[in-house]
Amino acid sequence: MKSLLVLACAIALTGTAFAADHGPVFSYATPVNSEREFSFDSGIFGRSGTRGTQFSTGSGFGYGITPHFTVNTLLPATFGSGNLPESRIVPGNEWSVGASWRFQHSVTSVGKRIESTASLGLVVPGPQQDSGVLGSLHRAPGIAGSLVTGLASRSQYVWVGGGYTRFAEASHDRRPDTLSWSAVYGYRPSNLRRGYDKWDYRGFAELTGEHTGAVRSSGLILPDSSSTTVWLGPSVLAIYKNIAIEGGVQGPLFRDVSESVYGRERIRFAINLSYLKYSSHTSSH
Amino acid sequence: MKTTFALGFLLFTSLAAHAEYEQVNLTVFGMDCAPCAHAIHVSMKGIQGVNTVDVDLNTGLVAIKLTPGNSAAMHQFNEAVEKNGFTHKDATIIVRGQLSGSAQAPFLEVSGTKDRYALTPLASGMDLSGLLGKTVLIDGVLPQSGKGKVSDTLRYKSVTEAK
Repeated sequence: MKSLLVLACAIALTGTAFAADHGPVFSYATPVNSEREFSFDSGIFGRSGTRGTQFSTGSGFGYGITPHFTVNTLLPATFGSGNLPESRIVPGNEWSVGASWRFQHSVTSVGKRIESTASLGLVVPGPQQDSGVLGSLHRAPGIAGSLVTGLASRSQYVWVGGGYTRFAEASHDRRPDTLSWSAVYGYRPSNLRRGYDKWDYRGFAELTGEHTGAVRSSGLILPDSSSTTVWLGPSVLAIYKNIAIEGGVQGPLFRDVSESVYGRERIRFAINLSYLKYSSHTSSH
Repeated sequence: MKTTFALGFLLFTSLAAHAEYEQVNLTVFGMDCAPCAHAIHVSMKGIQGVNTVDVDLNTGLVAIKLTPGNSAAMHQFNEAVEKNGFTHKDATIIVRGQLSGSAQAPFLEVSGTKDRYALTPLASGMDLSGLLGKTVLIDGVLPQSGKGKVSDTLRYKSVTEAK
């Protein structure tokens, strides 16, 4: 009964909060959809290391129920193999469904907002198998939550956020719990603060980090299977009215990963396309 | 034939005395990027009677011009802002309506909508007694209202008899 309740909450509320329309490509950010707005995201994310390159296509869909509450789903697919640690910053094989709630929203002046968004979601194994150590595990659903706060303005953006994902056990196997965090700074130069009928550009410096717990296989903890990494890199977001293109690359600042278990990850990159379909619906008198 | 004439005359007189918003300039807080402005543009264009919408991201000004004969209501403009997660501040409007009440407590009624405003002068007051019962054109400011609400006071800059 308890698990059913948790499951229901997870479905009602999301998990992953990356690469969505107005925000940075790797990091957590606060924007949610407008009421009745559909958003479609499709991107390619890559993680390259000593044991190969792993690509994932993150296809996402969101719908704004209210101006501050969005339901969303992410259906990634992967190809290539890198034998890399679990990541919730870069999409993997898990599909997710959930919701984001912008619970704090303070509009202080023209173009400026200070806001906070919480997300909760259900993560389920996708049809594809992982590679490496994670590929040998029986997979079970998990729950992912995140919290992010920050400022958006015409000139600068700052967001700080974190997320946690916990998977259930399946046949005495369990994927590692993952703690993710990010801090991002964005800037739009004054000569690019133009009309909305022109391309809107901004640049971000994205700092992300993840700690993954130990892998449990056949009831036993796999030695040296936990990992901690910190990544830094630039990204650029270009938007024309309701179409957004963003791309970014990150290099490692810190890696505490056993090379006997995983490949040594060297670079992360992403390109994401978004299409936003706004509603023209208005109430009558 | 007689009926057509009568209908035509009725239509003409109703249009001639039609009360409506001609222009609404809303200041919107919170729009930081192009999709924000695009969302406002799409939402405003969805209101029946809206002719053109200009959004200036750097000033937050949303300038809406309406077609003659429209029956758009003020709450629709506010809702278009709120549904996109932004906040509306003061609005400068040009509106045509019927002047009612008394010279001391005049009201503007925008027929075809439920909008009714108590009129107060923005600066020095005007003697509106000669315009009572007539259709007037008002240039004024609607102060900021709370979410889901429309101010019930219109602070006028000018009131002229509508032609």
